[in-house]
Amino acid sequence: MQADDLAGLATDERFRLLKARFRRLALTIVGAFLGWYFLYIALSAFARDFMALPAIGNVNVALLLGVLQFVSTFALAWRYTRYARRMLDPLSAELRDEAGQRQAQRERERRILAERHRIENWTRR
Amino acid sequence: MTIGLFAVFIVITLGVTIWARVNTKGTDDFYAGGRTFSGAQNGLALAGDYMSAASFLGIAGIIALSGYDGFLYSIGFLVAWLLTLLLVELMRNAGRFTMADVLSYRGGKRPMVRTAAAVSTVTVSVFYLVAQMVGAGALVSLLLGIHPGETFMGISPEAAKVITILVVGMMMIFYVSYGGMKGTTWVQIIKAVLLMAGTTALTVLVLSRFGFNPSEMLGAADARSGKPGEFLNPGQRFAKDADGIIGVLDFVSLAVALVLGTAGLPHIVGRFFTVPDARAARTSVNWAIGLVGAFYLMTLALGFGATALVGQQAITAQDPSGNTAALQLAQAVGESVAGPVGGEILLAFIGAVAFATILAVVSGLVLASSTSLAHDFFGHVLMFGKPKESQEVAVARFSAFVIGVFAVFLAVLVRDMNVAFLVALAFAMAASANLPAIVLSLFWRRFNSTGVVCGVYGGLLGSIVLVALSPVLSGGPRSLLPPPVDFHVFPLENPGLVSIPFAFLCAVAGTLLSREKADPGRYSELSVRALTGAGAHGQSAKNVGGGR
Repeated sequence: MQADDLAGLATDERFRLLKARFRRLALTIVGAFLGWYFLYIALSAFARDFMALPAIGNVNVALLLGVLQFVSTFALAWRYTRYARRMLDPLSAELRDEAGQRQAQRERERRILAERHRIENWTRR
Repeated sequence: MTIGLFAVFIVITLGVTIWARVNTKGTDDFYAGGRTFSGAQNGLALAGDYMSAASFLGIAGIIALSGYDGFLYSIGFLVAWLLTLLLVELMRNAGRFTMADVLSYRGGKRPMVRTAAAVSTVTVSVFYLVAQMVGAGALVSLLLGIHPGETFMGISPEAAKVITILVVGMMMIFYVSYGGMKGTTWVQIIKAVLLMAGTTALTVLVLSRFGFNPSEMLGAADARSGKPGEFLNPGQRFAKDADGIIGVLDFVSLAVALVLGTAGLPHIVGRFFTVPDARAARTSVNWAIGLVGAFYLMTLALGFGATALVGQQAITAQDPSGNTAALQLAQAVGESVAGPVGGEILLAFIGAVAFATILAVVSGLVLASSTSLAHDFFGHVLMFGKPKESQEVAVARFSAFVIGVFAVFLAVLVRDMNVAFLVALAFAMAASANLPAIVLSLFWRRFNSTGVVCGVYGGLLGSIVLVALSPVLSGGPRSLLPPPVDFHVFPLENPGLVSIPFAFLCAVAGTLLSREKADPGRYSELSVRALTGAGAHGQSAKNVGGGR
């Protein structure tokens, strides 16, 4: 892969869109899970009376929120995957194919040039 | 009997390793298993690499003794995977075999980045390795039921420990140097299946004792915990009221390291490259999240079940730190289902699973560090990026041997110390040394190789020095060094809260203070490649990615 092929794509409008979408998605997810996780840690450290309240039978609020951390992790992973499949994958596949085609084109040109060169050398002899 | 079951595991994995050897030809095969594993296979292997004996036996024990607070470990270990999910595709696309491929992408051929990455990879791996191998030694004396002074078939407990560490060491060296990534991945897959099966069986049996009503199990656990009424509430282990603000900070510091460390663990990162493309890498992390999540939820049943059915007194009588809780639970549950024979069988099975777990995790670690030594240090620093492929593989096999022997030596040396803190330290080091460099490489346009080097060494040294000056080593109630020695100045046992920001600071300062100009072209190139996968090393890496 030629370096300038990749760098050239960097200014492409579609790549900018892809990048903006990924950053927004990543920041949302990081913000959501870190915020929720540290809120939970803070509750465990400072709001002990609240965490000790009974929720369901012998299950208290602390354990219930802990299990909810698992649920939220699964939900965020699912959310990320669904968004990536719909909004990121098609764009990145398009750009990747284009880069591949450009490279194939360059490769063909290089081969033709080399062949021409070889024939010239041969006829000159 | 445990030994018999474990022997079956060894025979099967040896067969797989030999098969893998036949199918391993070049560096792509040795380091990345030919990049032909499917997302599901690699997801199982990721989970296998990640779920160590420390989490299986250790967390079950901590929950059994400290109740709710032990569960906090489980949550941190799982939540961390979301960060991994966000980074995995970018790293898969940008790198080839190791983290250093990503870090050095922008700095061109400067060897110091590779050296720093190799140093950090090997250091983190060796710390983690020693913790696991000492755990193996402790496990065997618990399984054989030998207490100080007793002997088992003429073997003293000390000798049994040393023999176990040696056997585990020999096995892991063999798996890695003989089977490479292909062999090791299959070992991980088999182990993950065994571990999930064992944990699920145990969980179902435990819950069946309480009519599948978790609340009833919690009630029974509370009653036999020695602290009825408080056992299920926060504050049994972390941030106790007596410790004041230092306790709270220490607790937060641990939580930060757990969440940010996973994505920087070398044996996890190395696994990103074993799949054909970024999409498969994403699938594999999703699989890992599902498996790891299910596993850690089940540790609740194991831990609380052990307290409820075995009782805290019986657990601490066997091992004060609770590492035997899961094993004692297996015996108790088996007995209640099928009498004493059932107890023996289930105990033997769970014991064998624990050994398989340790063996698989240490193999993953040795593979990660030997890959880094051979690919980064030998290939790029010593040979200026132009080694012969066969040469590089030979070096990788040899470094697996050297690192393995070194780790065995260290483990035998410290076999009687309580080295559980090393696992948390390895996470803190990975979070401080590796994560800042990875994130800044991918997202900061101005970042340069001086910044990488400063960040990696700053994070690595920062976390080690802070632990050395903390109550872990001297001056605390549970310190490694005996009481009169006291040189601790740093009050926290977990360095992450300070060392991670410090590493970011070092990386930024190094970048801004150095005269080196960042190459904006390389950054654009990296971001296109990371996000689209254009030019990434694929399954047929030699045709697609060879040009770079």
